[in-house]
Amino acid sequence: MKRQWSGKTYGNGWMHLWLIRLLRVLDVRVLYAFTFVFVLPVVLLVNPSRTYIYRFMRERMKYGRCKSLWKTYVNHCMFAQLVIDRFAMYAGKEFDVKVVGMEHVERLIALPGSFMMMSSHVGNYELAGYTFKSVGKRMNVLLFSGEKASVMENRQRLFEDNNIGMVPVMDDMSHLFEINRILSDGEMLGVLADRINGSTKSLRKRLLGGDVLLPQGPFSIAVMKSVPVIAVDVIKTAARQYTVFITPLEYDAEAPRAKQVESLSQAYIDNMERTVRRYPTQWYNYFEYWV
Amino acid sequence: MILELKERIIDVLNLEELTPEDIDAEAPLFGEGLGLDSIDALELIVLMEKYYGIRLATASEAKPIFRNLATMAAYIAEHRTK
Repeated sequence: MKRQWSGKTYGNGWMHLWLIRLLRVLDVRVLYAFTFVFVLPVVLLVNPSRTYIYRFMRERMKYGRCKSLWKTYVNHCMFAQLVIDRFAMYAGKEFDVKVVGMEHVERLIALPGSFMMMSSHVGNYELAGYTFKSVGKRMNVLLFSGEKASVMENRQRLFEDNNIGMVPVMDDMSHLFEINRILSDGEMLGVLADRINGSTKSLRKRLLGGDVLLPQGPFSIAVMKSVPVIAVDVIKTAARQYTVFITPLEYDAEAPRAKQVESLSQAYIDNMERTVRRYPTQWYNYFEYWV
Repeated sequence: MILELKERIIDVLNLEELTPEDIDAEAPLFGEGLGLDSIDALELIVLMEKYYGIRLATASEAKPIFRNLATMAAYIAEHRTK
């Protein structure tokens, strides 16, 4: 049983280049339709992702068999749209983006210190970085450096245009020094906090009635640097529209260290559960997530 | 300095099962020895800055300092600003 997902975009650099060229002239909806009819049936037949999502719908969302089958197909349609939308943005296309809770970001930007943004593999977290220009404080995103070169190059180009820096996780631990600098110099740090990568230290949490393991790192970093944290969920709410939900994650900075990590990670998983319950077809952890 | 550093490391890394006497100052901090990992490394980077006013900027600079507790203590004694 797979307990991790490679997280790499399907296809090679040549295919990505042609997809970007195609999206310069085609409406994304044409490509959505083509993918739903011709590509996804094949993907659903050959890819084990269908099993993980079907079980997620049955066991976690408690849907019946027919509804779970349908939702599994819709989930893969949504993921295909996510990938197409990403390449559409590389091709210069724009999406309508609404923000719920922008005042939380504005308040933290107005304060002198740093803060952290925690996202998850629910929805399309990358889109926020491609859409919003970071003003007031520089934004930095911690990334695992295993993605395809064509994706990383386009990411870098769009992020740099928006005053966003990438911090790749490196074997020599050089990213740790950059994290310390970012959180000491009043900048913002964005991390994905729902998958274990690198350090094996984890926190056991309850999600949708079962036990999951969250990486300890993001929560320990926030606590050791005593920075405020917000959750950022970027959800597709219409064919050409996304909604960004921003939620403060509270923890008692005066409590003992272990208690702070516990309460912050609990606030994170509570927010994640609310989001997943509301948008189960945008759950993109295609591996055995529950322990 | 070595005793003080041992006590701080036990505190920030939450190594409650250890006493300062259990930690060999010459044993490697990472891998074998104390067996610390990347999150612990960040704790040590923050500890150096918070308690001793030393900001380490690169991995190559930190590597010889974080070899073991004795090398850390020697570097702190020479470069501390707090």
